[in-house]
Amino acid sequence: MQHHFVDAEQQFDAAKMGMWIFLVTEILFFGGLFAAYIVYRLWHPELFTMASEQLDTLWGGVNTLVLIGSSLTVAMAIKSAQLNQKKNIAINLGITLALAAVFMVIKYFEWTHKFHLGIFPGEFYTFGGIDHPQANIFFSLYYLMTGLHGIHVIIGIGLIAWLLWRSTKGHFNSEYYTPIEITGLYWHLVDIIWIFLFPLFYLID
Amino acid sequence: MSGHHISTDRTLLGVAGGLLILTILTVAVHYVYIPEPWSIMVAMGIAIFKATLVAAFFMNLYWDDQFNTLLFIASLAFFALLVGFTLLDTLFRPEIMPAF
Amino acid sequence: MDKAESSSNLKKIQVQRFKPDDNPDQHYLNEETGLWSWLTTVDHKKIGIMYLASITFFFFIGGLMALLVRAELWTPAKTFIEANTYNQVFTLHGAIMIFLFLVPSVPAALGNFILPLQLGAKDVAFPRLNLLSYYLYLAGAGIAVFSILNGGIDTGWTFYTPYSSSTGGAVTSMTFGVFVIGFSSILTGVNFITTIHKMRAPGLTWDKLPLFCWGLYATSIIQILATPVLAITLALVAMERILGIGIFDPALGGDPVLYQHFFWFYSHPAVYIMIVPGFGVVSEIITTFSKKHIFGYWAIALSSLAIAFIGFLVWGHHMFVSGQASLASMVFSFLTFLVGIPTGIKMFNWTATLYKGSIKLASPLLYIFGFFFLFLVGGLTGIVLGSIALDVHLHDTYYVVAHFHFVMVGGMVMAFLAGVHYWWPKITGRMYNETMAKISCAIIFVGFNVTFLPQFVMGSQGMPRRYFNYIEQFQAFHQVSTIGSFILGLGFVMVFYYLVKSIFYGEKAKANPWGSRALEWQISTLPPLHNFHHTPVIVNGPYDYHKPMEEFQLGLAGSGNGHGHDEELEVTQEGEELNAE
Repeated sequence: MQHHFVDAEQQFDAAKMGMWIFLVTEILFFGGLFAAYIVYRLWHPELFTMASEQLDTLWGGVNTLVLIGSSLTVAMAIKSAQLNQKKNIAINLGITLALAAVFMVIKYFEWTHKFHLGIFPGEFYTFGGIDHPQANIFFSLYYLMTGLHGIHVIIGIGLIAWLLWRSTKGHFNSEYYTPIEITGLYWHLVDIIWIFLFPLFYLID
Repeated sequence: MSGHHISTDRTLLGVAGGLLILTILTVAVHYVYIPEPWSIMVAMGIAIFKATLVAAFFMNLYWDDQFNTLLFIASLAFFALLVGFTLLDTLFRPEIMPAF
Repeated sequence: MDKAESSSNLKKIQVQRFKPDDNPDQHYLNEETGLWSWLTTVDHKKIGIMYLASITFFFFIGGLMALLVRAELWTPAKTFIEANTYNQVFTLHGAIMIFLFLVPSVPAALGNFILPLQLGAKDVAFPRLNLLSYYLYLAGAGIAVFSILNGGIDTGWTFYTPYSSSTGGAVTSMTFGVFVIGFSSILTGVNFITTIHKMRAPGLTWDKLPLFCWGLYATSIIQILATPVLAITLALVAMERILGIGIFDPALGGDPVLYQHFFWFYSHPAVYIMIVPGFGVVSEIITTFSKKHIFGYWAIALSSLAIAFIGFLVWGHHMFVSGQASLASMVFSFLTFLVGIPTGIKMFNWTATLYKGSIKLASPLLYIFGFFFLFLVGGLTGIVLGSIALDVHLHDTYYVVAHFHFVMVGGMVMAFLAGVHYWWPKITGRMYNETMAKISCAIIFVGFNVTFLPQFVMGSQGMPRRYFNYIEQFQAFHQVSTIGSFILGLGFVMVFYYLVKSIFYGEKAKANPWGSRALEWQISTLPPLHNFHHTPVIVNGPYDYHKPMEEFQLGLAGSGNGHGHDEELEVTQEGEELNAE
């Protein structure tokens, strides 16, 4: 426990509050992109409907379930810590890590498939299959938003891997599991953002 | 540590199950024709409900210090202000004057 | 002082008085020494000092840019700088002053030092994040300097698209530098909010929180909500430059006004980030130097929160002539009138506090008087600019330039200097030369007015801002303004001189030279490394000047070196009524 805190309870609560405040900043950070999405979709609804067909609903849906699963397992990891089940902490963190990796692999294939068709962001866009002068805007937003989300997944992978390593060294128990708690909160937000990205990009009628 | 809520397996699996069902629902609804603007509202409604489940029961807001919930709601409120006031401009632009 | 025990969360504890030491042997500057101890410190006091040194450095760089601008404007057309260089100079002046000086000034430099002391805490909630915040500030500043030297930027500090998204120069790296500094700002906000919520001493209920802390709290709220939007906006500009995204550039199908919406969503609340901590300083100094309870404590506390909130609803007043829909303009104009109200409430309350107070005209208070006059002018002219019809004529003229310098320099810098002078004895353990302080304050006040009052006039007569060239009729105004700017610069240099001199030759300060009741003055002159040797217990508000000084120096009896393992200690969020024995 750090010396400027009175007790472990205060330290844990402060860490949680600090993480929630940080999540507020993440919500506003992504919020700017969501705002741009809303503005452009209201200006060009037909573009969004047409362009969305290029995205594969199946794989988007699978990725949604993958992230939901990983949220479940990270919550399980916290529960294991609270119940002092040290081996289960590592197992649950390991599964979370694996699911996160699956997400990135699927994402990789989605993106490369699009590159193959000439669907690149911004001025590198060369795909001719959508009859709209501003088709590149939809895909620019797609790449920006899923890309920023992907960066956050990669950061999450790094954090969870570090937690996994620490858990194998026995650093966590029912008295101290704060890093898992706050990393879990971060990871759930990453899940929530995808919960919105999925219908907004993949499920436009 | 005392005072920390420990979720049961039942709760966690139940929430995950609910999220699974809602994901299937949101995809299914996509294939049913719903006129604008309701289709987007249904999709967002389901997404909001899913996010609420994650926030309340995975992120433990249901059992946590209420200030943390306030923080979460506040961020959404300010996001809404960003969007709302921007739309006050972008949706009400006058028609482009023909060149003369 | 017996109080009845009527509810279950009351607890009897024993307190005793801990009189502060005027001349401690061990304190935060000599308990850990050496360069490495500074570079790796997690002590909020040392971090505050490092911030203070850094922002002072950048203030002088930004100030130098200002003097170059003003010197160039001595004559129409080229005086000694080329037009393209001139554009870079004013861009730098703005960017450095706003991002590297004003935004961090009071929160990072003074707030970091004073906040934990006022709360009775040993440090902020996340000391290591605090150090990281400082290094991010330096990193961002380094990237900004790199950008200046490698291509430069001439977009104005506002980086408007499509110019910023398509021009040459170092815009991309500069926006990255600002992005990094933004993180520094966010981390400070996270730290302060958590500290204020979780680290208050026993008895420090919300109604006893010093107004400086309320100001920092409101500022931190703005920092965490607004800065991320700036971050994503600048990232989008960078993406526009690198990938040609087409979100802001009309040539690529984008909308430049959308950039302005996103940019000002941060940058308007940013001006409140810059001023609200200053308001907190004003409250502290006015009460100390009139030895009176603040008039309308809750009005001032809550008005800071009101400013924080309403400040998010007015950004479109920067965009009245941008092509934004008139519906939006009308709504923003109306809300802009509202945002002046909480500030007005503060001004009235501060005045009422001074009334019938026992006024001591020391230099911190003189700076506050300067603040009063100058900020009043600045604020009122802001309301003028908030009326659409007037703004159509005044937008992008020197009227706007004068307005924001009155609030930022006349308001914020004066408040910052007041705070530096006020807390100087606590931070350095020395008193500065009071006569020089008074003279410098007068010089700054005069220099400031000579610089910026003419700018209102020429702005209303049509002199555009950021222009390298101008017509004959404005030359006299420009020249007067330039003379004023050098007087102003002299004043600042004088302040720097006598403050630095006092560190080495100044008279040693007592623990509480101003006779304040606030908690930071109830510990030794140079605070101990961990701030308090005991656990402070708060029974009065920080402005209860009618109560004897002893009652502000209470701490838990027997709380040895205060490392918090004492069984009797009960830290609650609500605080408690206490039986002191």
